[in-house]
Amino acid sequence: MSTDAALKALAEPHRRAILRLVRDDARSVTEIAEHFDITQQAVSLHLKVLREAGLVAVRRDGTRRLYLIDPDGMSSVQEFLAELWPAGLDRLKRAVESEWSVANWQPTALPPTRSGLE
Amino acid sequence: MTAKPYRTSVDIAAPPEAVYPYFTHADAIVAWMGDYAVLDAVPGGIFSVDINGVPVRGRYLELDPPHRLRISWGHAGSDLLPPGASTVEITLTAIPHGTRVSVEHRDLPPQEATKHAVGWPHFLTRLTVAATGRDPGPDTFAGTRTG
Repeated sequence: MSTDAALKALAEPHRRAILRLVRDDARSVTEIAEHFDITQQAVSLHLKVLREAGLVAVRRDGTRRLYLIDPDGMSSVQEFLAELWPAGLDRLKRAVESEWSVANWQPTALPPTRSGLE
Repeated sequence: MTAKPYRTSVDIAAPPEAVYPYFTHADAIVAWMGDYAVLDAVPGGIFSVDINGVPVRGRYLELDPPHRLRISWGHAGSDLLPPGASTVEITLTAIPHGTRVSVEHRDLPPQEATKHAVGWPHFLTRLTVAATGRDPGPDTFAGTRTG
């Protein structure tokens, strides 16, 4: 596998769309083809290119062949983590702060006390 | 041979006690990392999170609530970083008005082993965002913070 092969594989819009489909779930050719107007044969050819570029791996499930993103081919470990950690920590910050500020705001959200109105 | 550790940090406006569960509870961790998690936050317990199709697998090595965690980290199916191959140390330090969360990811494979790759998850994330009709915003790929 090489950067050239990966870039060539990704130059084709159907192949980019296929990658998005198989990034979270392993899918068969039939399942993938349902999402496109092109023939199942054409999908198979695209999958072959993606496999040869090291972007997609095949897993056997009984008699079915399922396609899934190849964790090594899709990213250098460093790139994966360089994307994961900063973006993840930003999401962590938002998640914690939204929950924490809601918890803290509740007392001030109470109606003013009677003595405060006097 | 391993690469130098990856380090980053973020400051959060909440005390360490409020941040810590986001590393130990499956419902909380998926709010910021991954789509599906199975966590058993005891020493030796399972740390399993699926992130954008990458099955991250490891174990909790050390827990010191709410200050520090050490977790082993690898990717199922990966030859470069098999499950348990690397270590993530998370430190929660109390700072004025909040917590500094520092991440140090150690024992990563050397860069040369993987230099053919060009950051596809980043690329795909932007593709997905673009595909849903939202503006993916400026490309901040080079803007990785270190701490």
